[in-house]
Amino acid sequence: MALGVEGSIARCLLVAALAVVMNASALAAGGTPPISSACETPLPDIATPEPLPNLAASLERKLPLKVMAIGSSSTVGIGASAPSRSYPNQLSEILLRNYTDLKLTMVNRGVSGELAAVTAERLRMQVALERPTLVLWQVGTNDALNRVPVEQFVQTVTNHVRWMKSHDIDVVLVGLQYTAKSVRDEHYHAIRHALTELAEREGVLLVRRYAAMEFLEKAKGTPVLTDDDLHLNDLGYRCMAEHIAHALVVSSFLKKPKRPPLMQ
Amino acid sequence: MSIRAPNAIDFWRGFALVSIFINHVPGLAYERLTHRNIGISDSAELFVFLAGWSLRGIAAGGGDPLTVRRTILRVGARGVTLYAAQIVITMLAIALLAATALVVQHQALLEWHNAASVFHDPIRTHVGLVLLTHQLGYFDILPLYVVLMFGAVLLALVHRLNAGLVLPLSLALYVFALVSQVNFPTWPLEGVWFFNPLCWQLIFVLGFVAAGDNGIGAWLHRNPRKVLALGLPGFLVGLVIAAIGYNPDPLTLPQPLLFFVIDKTYLTPLRLWHALSLFAVMAAAFPLILRFFPVVVGFLCLLGRNSLYVFCVGSLASLAGQLARFVLGGNLAVDTVILASGIVILGVTGWLSELKDRLRGASS
Repeated sequence: MALGVEGSIARCLLVAALAVVMNASALAAGGTPPISSACETPLPDIATPEPLPNLAASLERKLPLKVMAIGSSSTVGIGASAPSRSYPNQLSEILLRNYTDLKLTMVNRGVSGELAAVTAERLRMQVALERPTLVLWQVGTNDALNRVPVEQFVQTVTNHVRWMKSHDIDVVLVGLQYTAKSVRDEHYHAIRHALTELAEREGVLLVRRYAAMEFLEKAKGTPVLTDDDLHLNDLGYRCMAEHIAHALVVSSFLKKPKRPPLMQ
Repeated sequence: MSIRAPNAIDFWRGFALVSIFINHVPGLAYERLTHRNIGISDSAELFVFLAGWSLRGIAAGGGDPLTVRRTILRVGARGVTLYAAQIVITMLAIALLAATALVVQHQALLEWHNAASVFHDPIRTHVGLVLLTHQLGYFDILPLYVVLMFGAVLLALVHRLNAGLVLPLSLALYVFALVSQVNFPTWPLEGVWFFNPLCWQLIFVLGFVAAGDNGIGAWLHRNPRKVLALGLPGFLVGLVIAAIGYNPDPLTLPQPLLFFVIDKTYLTPLRLWHALSLFAVMAAAFPLILRFFPVVVGFLCLLGRNSLYVFCVGSLASLAGQLARFVLGGNLAVDTVILASGIVILGVTGWLSELKDRLRGASS
């Protein structure tokens, strides 16, 4: 669904306002994880908050939180100098440092090079075996690079997002990354926009990696990619973890479903 | 050594090898014709069951019963051979991916099949490859086979001690793995083995037991009609499940989940039941196939007699087929060429594997 110019502006303003409000309430309740100066980006670039009731309960009532990170090489941590620098491991550190009594278990189920459809095949079983309260699904980059048809990609992700939500599992989509080569790749952007629309339609938190990474690489001149212009470096994974942590905590304070009408 | 005459075991092993080759080229048009589309198990079960069947011959020796030392050496040596084969085909697969990425200048190929960490974290990943804790996608069945073959030393020894203990012990290990959800870990990447050896050992042991000429094995050989009657219900249930696309939501199933879900990694009971039922039907079908399609039987037996070489070459041929589809696009013409060349490559591999025996036979 395409947004008109007015709709886009209205939505951006709303997102910015929400981010500020959410940030303020989160700070009052215990504080959002700080974003380091190297990783700072405009807040609306990172994500549009959506409710995450399981995460909220874990943070507020100190219930155990089991997070399953699933996806491809960015979840595996390809390009990082050590496994401890992968984004799921850094995210755990950030959350545990910020919430010292959080009972957090992080499970990494990344497989490099995987398309959404292949991840989806094992996602149901992995979820059933691990019983996570929150799933972080990093998705889209490989589908874009391998020219998976947009409709097929959307169908796959939608089906599995709905399935997880129907079982009261918090779902977060971690979107496509920025690469210099992808800037003029129409299919890449078609998949990226389709994922954004899907997240809005399904009411799912989408961490917009592309916008954040593009800002860091181009506006700030902070290199977050390795020499291959595809995988993240240590700082890239650090920023990814910080952005996701921030988006998670801000969303966890969003109590009621927030669905601004999409304007044509 | 003379070449074995066509028989059901070699035929179905050859059949499994061709099916594995086809199924390992995802999206191939002919994938829809393999037997996994008419049930809930696939060639992996058949391959491992027949591996257990063959173990019986290795562990038993030719004529006189083997000593304990000879049994350990014979079974252990087979394990070493399988291990070496896994290392060689993995390295060739990595080189194939890298070479294609260089030729077509498409970096994403280096990501395929869990290969990215080989290129980006080579120090840890090479240790993992040698330890079999890092496996490429579609190159993950030989590691299972290696573990099973080294474990088979224990199996052969228990069998010598008390043959009646083998199946109960295997079943107990299987149930323990299903209840506890224990699996072998992967390293350096976090995860678990695609084929859980603690579960798949059961079908391997069942193959070993079924090949015997006493106990359960003897009963199976003496009662082919009863075996078929036992297998038909499971075969039909598999047909129905495949036809209606039954795929239960795993989060709505009772606990212990792995007793009720249909899953390949843990070779869950439904899959196992279907696989055994299918084998019963296959066993009954062989005489008919031999009668009406002797050429096909001869060809598949050629593959089955040389299963390790054919499997290794077939795995690489599948990867080459995937890469061909990626470069050329997937359509019926390309898929037909891939299928035809793959089958020819498998046949040539089998023929070359027996060349020495054929030459010896011709000169004597």
